[in-house]
Amino acid sequence: MRGVIERLRNTARCIVPLILAFLSIAVTPHVRAAQPTVTVRVSPDSLYAGERIVCIADIQHPRGTAVAVELPDSAALSPFMLIGRKQSSKPLSASAAEERVEMEFAVFGSGSQRLPPLTLVFFDSRGRISGREEFRPAAVFVKTFTPQEMLELRPLKPPTAPGFPFMLFLPVLLGIFGFAAAVLLVLFFVKRRVRLFSEAVDPAQVASRKLRRLDTRLSSGMLPSECYAELSTIMREYLERHYHIPALEAVTPEIERDLRKLGISSFEAIMSLLRQADLVKFADSRPTAEESRNSIRQAGEIVRSPGNGGG
Amino acid sequence: MQHAAVLEELGREIAESSVFLDRAAEQISSCIIGQKEVVRRVFIALLAGGHILLEGVPGLAKTLIVRSFAASMNLQFRRIQFTPDMLPADLVGTMVYNPRDMEFHPRQGPVFANVILADEINRSPAKVQSALLEAMQEKQVTIGSATFPLPSPFMVLATQNPIEHEGTYLLPEAQVDRFMMKVIVDYPNYEEELEIMLLASASPPLAEIRPVVEPGDIARARSLIDRIYVDSRVQRYIVDLVVATRNPAAYGLQKLETMIEYGASPRASIFLLLAAKAHAFLQHRAYITPEDVKSLAFDTLRHRIIPGYEAEADNISTDDFIRDILQHVQVP
Repeated sequence: MRGVIERLRNTARCIVPLILAFLSIAVTPHVRAAQPTVTVRVSPDSLYAGERIVCIADIQHPRGTAVAVELPDSAALSPFMLIGRKQSSKPLSASAAEERVEMEFAVFGSGSQRLPPLTLVFFDSRGRISGREEFRPAAVFVKTFTPQEMLELRPLKPPTAPGFPFMLFLPVLLGIFGFAAAVLLVLFFVKRRVRLFSEAVDPAQVASRKLRRLDTRLSSGMLPSECYAELSTIMREYLERHYHIPALEAVTPEIERDLRKLGISSFEAIMSLLRQADLVKFADSRPTAEESRNSIRQAGEIVRSPGNGGG
Repeated sequence: MQHAAVLEELGREIAESSVFLDRAAEQISSCIIGQKEVVRRVFIALLAGGHILLEGVPGLAKTLIVRSFAASMNLQFRRIQFTPDMLPADLVGTMVYNPRDMEFHPRQGPVFANVILADEINRSPAKVQSALLEAMQEKQVTIGSATFPLPSPFMVLATQNPIEHEGTYLLPEAQVDRFMMKVIVDYPNYEEELEIMLLASASPPLAEIRPVVEPGDIARARSLIDRIYVDSRVQRYIVDLVVATRNPAAYGLQKLETMIEYGASPRASIFLLLAAKAHAFLQHRAYITPEDVKSLAFDTLRHRIIPGYEAEADNISTDDFIRDILQHVQVP
């Protein structure tokens, strides 16, 4: 009996630790939940200089407490540069919560580079710092571009042909335009001067010169009828310019009316000439060469007579 | 200076033959005071075989001029008062049924006369006005299937009033173009008005007019007019004037380019030449001068030029266009 009891006692000595061990295992999560756990991941682990890595820290901690991540200053971060960070939290269970801190870094330099240590600051439910813990994330390998890789990444553009140098020709163009403008200006002034000169010329002189030329043409065989037509035109031009009456667009009675108003001395002679010319032009009258010559002479006298302002 | 013998002879004949017009003018002037240019235009149209449209405000003796003119001629005269309810058949005639032979026979209308006074022509609708087209252009009338020639001489003298628009109908362009001249009858001057007043209150003016012109006189005058000499320079001057209404810019009249919608038709050149010849006849001349052309340019061209909206907006009349053209086209 004593032996049985002893055996049972021994058995119990063996079982109790086992039971205690089992219980300790069963209770462990709750115990663990009470202690913060930190997981830090960095991706990618290999990259080119200038690219970015993302570092994610997952911190599980009891609910009611808080966690913050402290980073060293920018000088200490080199060759990493913090681009941005984001923090979020979510409850895991009734007693535990998870805090996630995502940090994005730009990476420079070359070769294996280790991220600076992260300092986790724990706060209790009253907001007081309950502890600090430092974690050192894994290193990343920073690759550098070879010249060939640089070319493949951004191929060089072929050199473009230089544009037409308009600016070089600008003085030439300006010179041409300037010359043209000068020519036009000269033409304008010449034309104006010619016009003024022609206006200044005495109509009687012009008429006399034309009558002399007409006389010469008559002598060289011009038809007397044509001579009268031209004589009429010369006289009308003279009257128009000398007396400023629209003689070229007026019929003989209209000229007669206008001249009568002016009261000029050679009125009858002028009208006689114009009527004779009308007969030749419109009534098929046929003057002789001598009659034509006489009419030219008579016209010459009219335009040269002092009463008409002729010279 | 040796003048063309033919023209000298023709000139003498014209001087002798045109005496009948002086007689007629004398008769007309016994009851028409003033309006000598209007009467002269009526004579020109008669001699040139044309028709006249007289336009003037009421009371200017338009109708009296025509009646006096007709009374001085030994010609058959009919007055047709145009009214809004007129029909073409009232003018030219119609087919009338004869129960004896049970056939339709044409009955000639009042248009069958030597001188027609179409009084207030614009009071009838266009279809009645258009009934005169054939008569005026071809001197014949078609009734049913038969065509009848009109007596010679045949002349339409139409009157219209420019200020009344109520109950009037604008003459169609084709109709207007057939009038050789459109004569504007203007107010008499002070002295003429005084004389008119005394004359009208004294006795009936038409009672004294005797017919002094025979159809033979007119036919002979027309044959002489046909022989009137027209120099090529004058011919070109006429064409220049007419073409200038269509293409004013070519004659230095750029400002008229947009003012004139349509220029004068070739009928203008024809009528201007015919009228100028008749005008020369009245002057006892055997040749025409630019003066003949110029003096008739307004009456011959004014109704053939259609002004554009710019001209109408600026109140520029066709007479202003013609004045500009006459001042720019060089006289030969």
